[in-house]
Amino acid sequence: MTVRSYFQNFIIETGEVSRFAIRFFKEVFAPPYEFKEFLLQCYNVGCKSLPLVGVTAFIMGLVVTLQSRPTLVQFGAGSWLPAMASVGIVREIGPVVTALMCAGKVGSNIGAELGSMRVTEQIDAMEVSGTNPFKFVAVTRILATTIMIPVLVLFADSLSLLGSFMAANIKGEISLSLFFNQVFQKLVFLDVVPSLIKSFLFGFTIGLISCYEGYNSKKGTEGVGRSANAAVVISSLLIFVIDLIAVQLTNAYGNQ
Amino acid sequence: MNPDKQDTANRSRVLEIDHLKKNFKDTKVLKDISLILNKGENIVVLGKSGSGKSVLIKCVVGLLRPDSGEIKIFGKSITNLEHRELDGIREKIGFLFQSNALYDSMTVRKNLEFPLRRNIKKEGRSEIDKRVKEALTNVGLANTADMMPSELSGGMRKRIGLARCLMVNPEIMLYDEPTTGLDPITAEEISELMVDMQKKYNSASIIITHDMKCAKLTATEMMVLIDGNIYAKGTYQELSRSKDKKIKSFFE
Repeated sequence: MTVRSYFQNFIIETGEVSRFAIRFFKEVFAPPYEFKEFLLQCYNVGCKSLPLVGVTAFIMGLVVTLQSRPTLVQFGAGSWLPAMASVGIVREIGPVVTALMCAGKVGSNIGAELGSMRVTEQIDAMEVSGTNPFKFVAVTRILATTIMIPVLVLFADSLSLLGSFMAANIKGEISLSLFFNQVFQKLVFLDVVPSLIKSFLFGFTIGLISCYEGYNSKKGTEGVGRSANAAVVISSLLIFVIDLIAVQLTNAYGNQ
Repeated sequence: MNPDKQDTANRSRVLEIDHLKKNFKDTKVLKDISLILNKGENIVVLGKSGSGKSVLIKCVVGLLRPDSGEIKIFGKSITNLEHRELDGIREKIGFLFQSNALYDSMTVRKNLEFPLRRNIKKEGRSEIDKRVKEALTNVGLANTADMMPSELSGGMRKRIGLARCLMVNPEIMLYDEPTTGLDPITAEEISELMVDMQKKYNSASIIITHDMKCAKLTATEMMVLIDGNIYAKGTYQELSRSKDKKIKSFFE
Protein backbone atom coordinates (compact mmCIF):
# COMPACT_ATOMS: atom_id res chain seq x y z
CA MET A 1 0.00 0.00 0.00
CA THR A 2 1.40 3.37 -0.96
CA VAL A 3 1.70 6.35 1.37
CA ARG A 4 -1.02 8.08 -0.61
CA SER A 5 -3.55 5.29 -0.19
CA TYR A 6 -2.69 5.05 3.53
CA PHE A 7 -3.43 8.75 3.82
CA GLN A 8 -6.64 8.36 1.83
CA ASN A 9 -7.78 5.49 4.03
CA PHE A 10 -7.00 7.51 7.13
CA ILE A 11 -9.13 10.42 5.92
CA ILE A 12 -12.00 8.12 4.93
CA GLU A 13 -11.91 6.28 8.27
CA THR A 14 -11.82 9.56 10.21
CA GLY A 15 -14.86 10.75 8.26
CA GLU A 16 -16.71 7.49 8.92
CA VAL A 17 -15.94 7.61 12.67
CA SER A 18 -17.18 11.22 12.77
CA ARG A 19 -20.41 10.19 11.06
CA PHE A 20 -20.77 7.39 13.59
CA ALA A 21 -20.30 9.91 16.42
CA ILE A 22 -22.86 12.31 14.92
CA ARG A 23 -25.34 9.45 14.61
CA PHE A 24 -24.70 8.64 18.29
CA PHE A 25 -25.55 12.21 19.37
CA LYS A 26 -28.66 12.20 17.17
CA GLU A 27 -29.99 8.94 18.56
CA VAL A 28 -28.96 9.18 22.19
CA PHE A 29 -31.64 11.79 22.98
CA ALA A 30 -34.40 10.39 20.76
CA PRO A 31 -36.90 7.92 22.23
CA PRO A 32 -37.42 5.00 22.64
CA TYR A 33 -34.69 4.61 25.27
CA GLU A 34 -33.00 1.26 25.87
CA PHE A 35 -32.65 1.80 29.62
CA LYS A 36 -32.41 -1.87 30.68
CA GLU A 37 -29.68 -2.62 28.14
CA PHE A 38 -27.82 0.54 29.23
CA LEU A 39 -27.84 -0.62 32.88
CA LEU A 40 -26.62 -4.06 31.82
CA GLN A 41 -23.75 -2.47 29.89
CA CYS A 42 -22.89 -0.21 32.88
CA TYR A 43 -22.60 -3.38 34.94
CA ASN A 44 -20.44 -5.05 32.26
CA VAL A 45 -18.14 -2.05 31.90
CA GLY A 46 -18.05 -0.88 35.51
CA CYS A 47 -18.42 -3.78 37.93
CA LYS A 48 -16.59 -6.34 35.84
CA SER A 49 -13.56 -4.02 35.45
CA LEU A 50 -13.28 -3.18 39.16
CA PRO A 51 -10.77 -5.90 40.17
CA LEU A 52 -8.48 -5.31 37.18
CA VAL A 53 -8.51 -1.51 37.51
CA GLY A 54 -8.16 -1.71 41.29
CA VAL A 55 -5.13 -4.00 41.30
CA THR A 56 -3.38 -2.07 38.50
CA ALA A 57 -3.98 1.30 40.14
CA PHE A 58 -2.82 0.08 43.55
CA ILE A 59 0.43 -1.31 42.09
CA MET A 60 1.03 1.85 40.03
CA GLY A 61 0.62 4.08 43.10
CA LEU A 62 2.98 1.87 45.06
CA VAL A 63 5.64 1.64 42.37
CA VAL A 64 5.64 5.33 41.43
CA THR A 65 6.05 6.34 45.09
CA LEU A 66 8.82 3.81 45.64
CA GLN A 67 10.69 5.05 42.56
CA SER A 68 10.34 8.76 43.36
CA ARG A 69 11.29 8.51 47.01
CA PRO A 70 15.10 8.24 46.64
CA THR A 71 15.29 11.34 44.38
CA LEU A 72 13.11 13.43 46.67
CA VAL A 73 15.09 12.30 49.73
CA GLN A 74 18.35 13.21 47.95
CA PHE A 75 17.11 16.79 47.61
CA GLY A 76 15.88 16.78 51.18
CA ALA A 77 12.26 16.89 50.03
CA GLY A 78 11.11 13.53 51.43
CA SER A 79 8.17 15.17 53.16
CA TRP A 80 6.82 16.28 49.77
CA LEU A 81 6.24 12.63 48.79
CA PRO A 82 2.44 12.54 49.52
CA ALA A 83 1.88 15.85 47.73
CA MET A 84 3.85 14.76 44.67
CA ALA A 85 2.15 11.35 44.55
CA SER A 86 -1.32 12.90 44.87
CA VAL A 87 -0.85 15.32 41.97
CA GLY A 88 0.72 12.64 39.77
CA ILE A 89 -1.94 10.09 40.55
CA VAL A 90 -5.00 12.32 40.27
CA ARG A 91 -3.82 14.22 37.20
CA GLU A 92 -2.24 11.45 35.15
CA ILE A 93 -1.79 7.96 36.55
CA GLY A 94 -5.39 7.39 37.63
CA PRO A 95 -7.13 8.46 34.39
CA VAL A 96 -4.55 7.16 31.93
CA VAL A 97 -3.96 3.77 33.55
CA THR A 98 -7.70 3.20 34.00
CA ALA A 99 -8.45 4.24 30.42
CA LEU A 100 -5.68 2.04 29.00
CA MET A 101 -6.74 -0.99 31.02
CA CYS A 102 -10.36 -0.45 29.96
CA ALA A 103 -9.35 0.06 26.33
CA GLY A 104 -7.81 -3.41 26.54
CA LYS A 105 -10.53 -5.15 28.50
CA VAL A 106 -13.74 -3.35 27.54
CA GLY A 107 -12.60 -2.25 24.06
CA SER A 108 -11.64 -5.74 22.89
CA ASN A 109 -14.80 -7.13 24.44
CA ILE A 110 -17.08 -4.66 22.64
CA GLY A 111 -15.14 -4.93 19.36
CA ALA A 112 -15.32 -8.74 19.31
CA GLU A 113 -18.92 -8.95 20.57
CA LEU A 114 -20.33 -6.48 18.06
CA GLY A 115 -18.12 -7.95 15.32
CA SER A 116 -19.51 -11.44 15.84
CA MET A 117 -23.03 -10.04 16.11
CA ARG A 118 -22.49 -8.42 12.71
CA VAL A 119 -21.04 -11.48 10.96
CA THR A 120 -23.64 -13.87 12.43
CA GLU A 121 -26.39 -11.51 11.21
CA GLN A 122 -27.67 -10.77 14.76
CA ILE A 123 -27.58 -7.03 14.05
CA ASP A 124 -29.63 -7.58 10.86
CA ALA A 125 -32.04 -9.76 12.85
CA MET A 126 -32.59 -6.90 15.31
CA GLU A 127 -33.33 -4.51 12.49
CA VAL A 128 -35.80 -6.94 10.92
CA SER A 129 -37.59 -7.37 14.23
CA GLY A 130 -38.27 -3.63 14.42
CA THR A 131 -35.52 -2.68 16.91
CA ASN A 132 -33.01 -0.01 16.00
CA PRO A 133 -29.76 -2.00 16.38
CA PHE A 134 -27.60 1.14 16.50
CA LYS A 135 -29.52 2.34 19.52
CA PHE A 136 -29.73 -1.03 21.23
CA VAL A 137 -26.15 -2.10 20.63
CA ALA A 138 -23.96 0.98 20.06
CA VAL A 139 -25.64 3.88 21.89
CA THR A 140 -26.02 1.90 25.12
CA ARG A 141 -22.38 0.80 25.11
CA ILE A 142 -20.94 4.22 24.25
CA LEU A 143 -23.05 5.80 26.99
CA ALA A 144 -22.03 3.12 29.49
CA THR A 145 -18.29 3.60 28.87
CA THR A 146 -18.64 7.41 28.96
CA ILE A 147 -20.30 7.29 32.37
CA MET A 148 -18.50 4.34 33.95
CA ILE A 149 -14.87 5.20 33.10
CA PRO A 150 -14.88 8.39 35.26
CA VAL A 151 -16.38 6.34 38.13
CA LEU A 152 -13.61 3.78 37.66
CA VAL A 153 -11.06 6.61 37.60
CA LEU A 154 -12.23 7.85 41.03
CA PHE A 155 -11.98 4.29 42.32
CA ALA A 156 -8.51 3.89 40.75
CA ASP A 157 -7.34 7.23 42.27
CA SER A 158 -8.36 6.07 45.75
CA LEU A 159 -6.64 2.70 45.49
CA SER A 160 -3.58 4.24 43.88
CA LEU A 161 -3.24 6.70 46.78
CA LEU A 162 -3.59 3.79 49.18
CA GLY A 163 -0.76 2.03 47.31
CA SER A 164 1.27 5.21 47.57
CA PHE A 165 0.64 5.32 51.34
CA MET A 166 1.85 1.71 51.64
CA ALA A 167 5.02 2.58 49.70
CA ALA A 168 5.67 5.61 51.91
CA ASN A 169 5.51 3.28 54.90
CA ILE A 170 7.81 0.64 53.46
CA LYS A 171 10.93 2.84 53.67
CA GLY A 172 9.78 5.52 56.10
CA GLU A 173 6.97 6.02 58.53
CA ILE A 174 3.92 8.22 58.08
CA SER A 175 0.46 7.99 59.60
CA LEU A 176 -2.62 7.57 57.40
CA SER A 177 -4.11 10.87 58.57
CA LEU A 178 -0.93 12.85 57.95
CA PHE A 179 -0.46 11.26 54.51
CA PHE A 180 -4.00 12.03 53.37
CA ASN A 181 -3.92 15.43 55.01
CA GLN A 182 -0.95 16.32 52.81
CA VAL A 183 -2.57 14.70 49.79
CA PHE A 184 -5.76 16.78 50.07
CA GLN A 185 -3.87 19.94 50.99
CA LYS A 186 -2.04 19.82 47.70
CA LEU A 187 -4.99 18.91 45.48
CA VAL A 188 -6.78 21.87 43.90
CA PHE A 189 -9.67 22.41 41.50
CA LEU A 190 -7.36 22.30 38.48
CA ASP A 191 -6.11 18.85 39.45
CA VAL A 192 -9.45 17.17 39.96
CA VAL A 193 -11.97 18.62 37.51
CA PRO A 194 -9.89 18.54 34.28
CA SER A 195 -8.90 15.01 35.17
CA LEU A 196 -12.57 14.00 35.42
CA ILE A 197 -13.47 15.78 32.18
CA LYS A 198 -10.59 13.97 30.54
CA SER A 199 -11.94 10.67 31.89
CA PHE A 200 -15.33 11.28 30.27
CA LEU A 201 -13.54 11.84 26.95
CA PHE A 202 -11.49 8.67 27.43
CA GLY A 203 -14.67 6.69 28.14
CA PHE A 204 -16.45 8.16 25.13
CA THR A 205 -13.46 7.39 22.88
CA ILE A 206 -13.21 3.77 24.03
CA GLY A 207 -16.94 3.24 23.50
CA LEU A 208 -17.09 5.06 20.17
CA ILE A 209 -14.05 3.41 18.57
CA SER A 210 -14.87 -0.09 19.83
CA CYS A 211 -18.49 0.13 18.73
CA TYR A 212 -17.51 1.60 15.35
CA GLU A 213 -15.01 -1.18 14.69
CA GLY A 214 -17.36 -3.94 15.82
CA TYR A 215 -20.48 -2.54 14.16
CA ASN A 216 -18.70 -2.27 10.80
CA SER A 217 -16.91 -5.61 11.04
CA LYS A 218 -16.50 -7.50 7.76
CA LYS A 219 -15.06 -10.70 6.35
CA GLY A 220 -16.18 -13.35 8.82
CA THR A 221 -14.15 -14.52 11.80
CA GLU A 222 -11.01 -12.82 10.53
CA GLY A 223 -12.91 -9.53 10.56
CA VAL A 224 -14.01 -10.10 14.17
CA GLY A 225 -10.37 -10.50 15.25
CA ARG A 226 -9.44 -7.40 13.30
CA SER A 227 -12.25 -5.40 14.92
CA ALA A 228 -11.22 -6.40 18.44
CA ASN A 229 -7.60 -5.57 17.65
CA ALA A 230 -8.38 -2.21 16.03
CA ALA A 231 -10.70 -1.32 18.92
CA VAL A 232 -7.83 -1.70 21.41
CA VAL A 233 -5.03 -0.21 19.31
CA ILE A 234 -6.89 2.87 18.06
CA SER A 235 -8.58 3.71 21.35
CA SER A 236 -5.27 3.34 23.27
CA LEU A 237 -3.54 5.62 20.80
CA LEU A 238 -6.34 8.18 20.97
CA ILE A 239 -6.21 8.14 24.77
CA PHE A 240 -2.62 9.40 24.58
CA VAL A 241 -3.50 12.03 21.97
CA ILE A 242 -6.43 13.30 24.06
CA ASP A 243 -4.22 13.28 27.15
CA LEU A 244 -1.59 15.35 25.38
CA ILE A 245 -4.16 17.93 24.28
CA ALA A 246 -5.82 17.96 27.73
CA VAL A 247 -2.50 18.58 29.49
CA GLN A 248 -1.73 21.51 27.18
CA LEU A 249 -5.18 23.01 27.72
CA THR A 250 -5.04 22.58 31.50
CA ASN A 251 -1.57 24.11 31.67
CA ALA A 252 -2.53 27.04 29.46
CA TYR A 253 -5.62 27.70 31.60
CA GLY A 254 -3.71 27.18 34.85
CA ASN A 255 -0.91 29.60 33.94
CA GLN A 256 -3.22 32.53 33.27
CA MET B 1 -60.89 -8.71 -15.45
CA ASN B 2 -64.11 -8.43 -13.50
CA PRO B 3 -63.65 -5.68 -10.83
CA ASP B 4 -64.69 -8.05 -8.02
CA LYS B 5 -62.16 -10.64 -9.12
CA GLN B 6 -59.49 -7.92 -9.44
CA ASP B 7 -60.25 -6.82 -5.89
CA THR B 8 -59.99 -10.38 -4.53
CA ALA B 9 -56.70 -10.86 -6.37
CA ASN B 10 -55.29 -7.65 -4.88
CA ARG B 11 -56.35 -8.59 -1.38
CA SER B 12 -54.68 -11.99 -1.53
CA ARG B 13 -51.54 -10.47 -3.05
CA VAL B 14 -49.12 -9.92 -0.18
CA LEU B 15 -45.92 -9.10 -2.03
CA GLU B 16 -45.17 -7.70 -5.44
CA ILE B 17 -41.68 -7.13 -6.82
CA ASP B 18 -41.46 -5.09 -9.99
CA HIS B 19 -38.28 -4.86 -12.12
CA LEU B 20 -35.95 -4.93 -9.13
CA LYS B 21 -32.30 -4.03 -9.74
CA LYS B 22 -29.43 -4.09 -7.27
CA ASN B 23 -25.73 -3.49 -7.88
CA PHE B 24 -22.75 -3.71 -5.54
CA LYS B 25 -20.17 -1.28 -6.90
CA ASP B 26 -19.63 -2.57 -10.46
CA THR B 27 -21.22 -5.97 -9.94
CA LYS B 28 -24.79 -6.28 -11.14
CA VAL B 29 -26.30 -8.75 -8.69
CA LEU B 30 -29.99 -8.45 -9.50
CA LYS B 31 -30.66 -7.28 -13.05
CA ASP B 32 -34.40 -7.46 -13.48
CA ILE B 33 -36.52 -9.39 -11.01
CA SER B 34 -40.30 -9.37 -10.92
CA LEU B 35 -42.51 -11.68 -8.90
CA ILE B 36 -45.88 -11.83 -7.20
CA LEU B 37 -46.55 -13.69 -3.97
CA ASN B 38 -50.12 -14.47 -2.92
CA LYS B 39 -51.46 -15.56 0.43
CA GLY B 40 -50.89 -19.27 1.06
CA GLU B 41 -48.19 -19.56 -1.62
CA ASN B 42 -44.62 -20.77 -1.16
CA ILE B 43 -42.21 -19.55 -3.81
CA VAL B 44 -38.90 -21.40 -3.81
CA VAL B 45 -36.02 -19.50 -5.38
CA LEU B 46 -33.21 -21.68 -6.67
CA GLY B 47 -29.81 -20.44 -7.69
CA LYS B 48 -26.16 -21.16 -7.19
CA SER B 49 -24.16 -19.42 -4.47
CA GLY B 50 -23.55 -15.75 -5.19
CA SER B 51 -26.45 -15.50 -7.62
CA GLY B 52 -28.15 -12.85 -5.47
CA LYS B 53 -30.85 -14.98 -3.83
CA SER B 54 -30.18 -13.63 -0.34
CA VAL B 55 -29.88 -10.09 -1.71
CA LEU B 56 -33.40 -10.47 -3.10
CA ILE B 57 -35.03 -11.27 0.24
CA LYS B 58 -32.87 -8.72 2.07
CA CYS B 59 -34.29 -6.09 -0.30
CA VAL B 60 -37.81 -7.32 0.51
CA VAL B 61 -37.31 -6.80 4.23
CA GLY B 62 -35.54 -3.45 3.77
CA LEU B 63 -32.07 -4.55 4.93
CA LEU B 64 -30.79 -3.52 1.50
CA ARG B 65 -32.11 -0.70 -0.64
CA PRO B 66 -32.67 -1.60 -4.30
CA ASP B 67 -31.11 0.65 -6.96
CA SER B 68 -34.30 0.70 -8.99
CA GLY B 69 -37.62 -1.10 -9.25
CA GLU B 70 -40.38 -1.35 -6.72
CA ILE B 71 -41.33 -3.64 -3.85
CA LYS B 72 -44.92 -3.53 -2.64
CA ILE B 73 -45.93 -5.28 0.57
CA PHE B 74 -49.68 -5.48 1.23
CA GLY B 75 -50.03 -2.99 -1.61
CA LYS B 76 -47.69 -0.40 -0.06
CA SER B 77 -44.40 0.45 -1.70
CA ILE B 78 -41.52 0.08 0.76
CA THR B 79 -38.66 1.31 -1.40
CA ASN B 80 -38.67 4.85 -0.06
CA LEU B 81 -40.17 4.33 3.37
CA GLU B 82 -38.77 5.89 6.53
CA HIS B 83 -37.40 3.57 9.22
CA ARG B 84 -40.44 3.81 11.48
CA GLU B 85 -42.94 3.11 8.71
CA LEU B 86 -40.78 0.22 7.57
CA ASP B 87 -40.77 -1.21 11.10
CA GLY B 88 -44.57 -1.26 11.00
CA ILE B 89 -44.47 -3.45 7.89
CA ARG B 90 -41.66 -5.60 9.27
CA GLU B 91 -43.93 -6.61 12.15
CA LYS B 92 -45.83 -8.75 9.66
CA ILE B 93 -42.72 -10.38 8.17
CA GLY B 94 -40.69 -13.24 9.59
CA PHE B 95 -37.09 -13.66 8.41
CA LEU B 96 -35.22 -16.89 9.13
CA PHE B 97 -31.54 -16.17 8.64
CA GLN B 98 -29.14 -18.74 7.22
CA SER B 99 -27.08 -18.57 10.43
CA ASN B 100 -30.30 -18.42 12.54
CA ALA B 101 -29.00 -15.14 14.05
CA LEU B 102 -30.04 -16.10 17.58
CA TYR B 103 -28.82 -13.52 20.12
CA ASP B 104 -26.20 -15.57 21.92
CA SER B 105 -26.05 -13.35 24.99
CA MET B 106 -29.74 -14.04 25.70
CA THR B 107 -31.68 -17.15 26.75
CA VAL B 108 -34.09 -18.80 24.32
CA ARG B 109 -37.00 -17.09 26.14
CA LYS B 110 -35.40 -13.64 25.78
CA ASN B 111 -34.68 -14.38 22.12
CA LEU B 112 -38.33 -15.19 21.50
CA GLU B 113 -39.55 -12.20 23.47
CA PHE B 114 -37.22 -9.79 21.67
CA PRO B 115 -39.51 -8.94 18.72
CA LEU B 116 -42.34 -8.27 21.21
CA ARG B 117 -40.44 -6.61 24.03
CA ARG B 118 -42.01 -3.21 23.41
CA ASN B 119 -45.44 -4.83 23.82
CA ILE B 120 -44.74 -6.55 27.16
CA LYS B 121 -46.39 -3.75 29.17
CA LYS B 122 -49.28 -3.41 26.75
CA GLU B 123 -50.06 -7.09 26.29
CA GLY B 124 -49.13 -8.23 29.78
CA ARG B 125 -46.46 -10.61 31.00
CA SER B 126 -48.75 -13.65 31.07
CA GLU B 127 -49.83 -13.15 27.46
CA ILE B 128 -46.20 -12.97 26.29
CA ASP B 129 -45.31 -16.06 28.35
CA LYS B 130 -48.22 -17.88 26.75
CA ARG B 131 -47.00 -16.94 23.28
CA VAL B 132 -43.44 -18.05 24.05
CA LYS B 133 -44.76 -21.39 25.28
CA GLU B 134 -46.98 -21.79 22.22
CA ALA B 135 -44.14 -20.93 19.79
CA LEU B 136 -41.80 -23.40 21.48
CA THR B 137 -44.46 -26.13 21.51
CA ASN B 138 -45.08 -25.49 17.80
CA VAL B 139 -41.46 -26.31 17.01
CA GLY B 140 -41.33 -29.21 19.48
CA LEU B 141 -38.88 -27.65 21.93
CA ALA B 142 -41.11 -26.74 24.87
CA ASN B 143 -38.47 -27.32 27.55
CA THR B 144 -35.66 -25.18 26.15
CA ALA B 145 -36.93 -21.74 27.25
CA ASP B 146 -34.21 -21.14 29.82
CA MET B 147 -31.31 -22.55 27.81
CA MET B 148 -28.67 -20.46 26.06
CA PRO B 149 -28.39 -20.78 22.24
CA SER B 150 -24.86 -22.19 22.63
CA GLU B 151 -26.33 -25.20 24.47
CA LEU B 152 -28.50 -26.16 21.49
CA SER B 153 -27.72 -28.32 18.45
CA GLY B 154 -27.80 -26.91 14.89
CA GLY B 155 -31.28 -28.31 14.19
CA MET B 156 -32.62 -27.03 17.51
CA ARG B 157 -31.21 -23.57 16.83
CA LYS B 158 -32.95 -23.56 13.44
CA ARG B 159 -36.24 -24.47 15.15
CA ILE B 160 -35.78 -21.72 17.74
CA GLY B 161 -35.01 -19.28 14.90
CA LEU B 162 -38.29 -20.33 13.29
CA ALA B 163 -40.13 -20.04 16.61
CA ARG B 164 -38.80 -16.48 17.03
CA CYS B 165 -40.17 -15.57 13.59
CA LEU B 166 -43.55 -17.07 14.46
CA MET B 167 -43.85 -14.96 17.63
CA VAL B 168 -45.13 -12.05 15.54
CA ASN B 169 -47.66 -14.19 13.63
CA PRO B 170 -46.09 -13.22 10.29
CA GLU B 171 -48.11 -12.99 7.14
CA ILE B 172 -44.97 -13.32 5.02
CA MET B 173 -42.10 -15.67 5.87
CA LEU B 174 -38.70 -15.30 4.23
CA TYR B 175 -36.35 -18.26 4.58
CA ASP B 176 -32.66 -17.91 3.74
CA GLU B 177 -31.34 -21.43 3.07
CA PRO B 178 -33.28 -23.00 5.96
CA THR B 179 -31.79 -26.49 5.62
CA THR B 180 -28.16 -25.67 4.81
CA GLY B 181 -25.69 -27.30 7.18
CA LEU B 182 -28.22 -29.78 8.59
CA ASP B 183 -28.23 -33.57 8.25
CA PRO B 184 -30.84 -34.98 5.78
CA ILE B 185 -33.21 -36.15 8.52
CA THR B 186 -33.21 -32.83 10.39
CA ALA B 187 -33.43 -30.97 7.07
CA GLU B 188 -36.58 -32.91 6.21
CA GLU B 189 -38.04 -32.24 9.66
CA ILE B 190 -37.42 -28.51 9.24
CA SER B 191 -39.02 -28.54 5.78
CA GLU B 192 -42.09 -30.33 7.16
CA LEU B 193 -42.24 -27.86 10.03
CA MET B 194 -42.16 -24.99 7.53
CA VAL B 195 -45.13 -26.47 5.66
CA ASP B 196 -47.04 -27.11 8.91
CA MET B 197 -46.50 -23.56 10.12
CA GLN B 198 -47.47 -22.12 6.76
CA LYS B 199 -50.76 -24.04 6.91
CA LYS B 200 -51.37 -23.15 10.54
CA TYR B 201 -50.77 -19.40 10.10
CA ASN B 202 -51.92 -19.23 6.46
CA SER B 203 -48.78 -17.25 5.62
CA ALA B 204 -46.99 -16.83 2.30
CA SER B 205 -43.29 -17.61 1.96
CA ILE B 206 -40.25 -17.04 -0.17
CA ILE B 207 -37.78 -19.84 0.38
CA ILE B 208 -34.20 -19.47 -0.80
CA THR B 209 -32.59 -22.86 -1.09
CA HIS B 210 -30.60 -25.28 -3.17
CA ASP B 211 -31.84 -28.28 -1.25
CA MET B 212 -34.16 -29.99 -3.73
CA LYS B 213 -35.82 -32.14 -1.06
CA CYS B 214 -36.81 -29.01 0.80
CA ALA B 215 -38.00 -27.44 -2.46
CA LYS B 216 -40.09 -30.50 -3.34
CA LEU B 217 -41.78 -30.52 0.06
CA THR B 218 -42.49 -26.82 0.33
CA ALA B 219 -42.83 -25.24 -3.13
CA THR B 220 -46.09 -24.21 -4.71
CA GLU B 221 -44.06 -22.37 -7.33
CA MET B 222 -40.35 -22.34 -8.17
CA MET B 223 -38.03 -19.83 -9.78
CA VAL B 224 -34.50 -20.31 -11.00
CA LEU B 225 -32.25 -17.29 -10.57
CA ILE B 226 -29.27 -17.17 -12.92
CA ASP B 227 -27.02 -14.15 -13.53
CA GLY B 228 -29.39 -11.77 -11.78
CA ASN B 229 -32.41 -12.70 -13.86
CA ILE B 230 -35.27 -15.13 -13.41
CA TYR B 231 -34.23 -17.85 -15.82
CA ALA B 232 -37.22 -20.14 -15.41
CA LYS B 233 -40.50 -20.42 -13.49
CA GLY B 234 -42.85 -23.29 -12.83
CA THR B 235 -43.97 -25.93 -10.39
CA TYR B 236 -41.52 -28.53 -9.06
CA GLN B 237 -42.87 -31.12 -11.49
CA GLU B 238 -42.60 -28.79 -14.50
CA LEU B 239 -39.04 -27.76 -13.74
CA SER B 240 -37.92 -31.29 -12.90
CA ARG B 241 -39.01 -32.39 -16.37
CA SER B 242 -37.15 -29.55 -18.07
CA LYS B 243 -34.50 -30.50 -20.60
CA ASP B 244 -32.55 -27.28 -20.13
CA LYS B 245 -29.02 -28.11 -18.95
CA LYS B 246 -28.84 -25.32 -16.36
CA ILE B 247 -32.16 -26.28 -14.80
CA LYS B 248 -31.41 -30.01 -14.94
CA SER B 249 -28.19 -29.46 -12.99
CA PHE B 250 -30.21 -28.43 -9.91
CA PHE B 251 -32.18 -31.66 -9.95
CA GLU B 252 -29.23 -34.03 -10.38
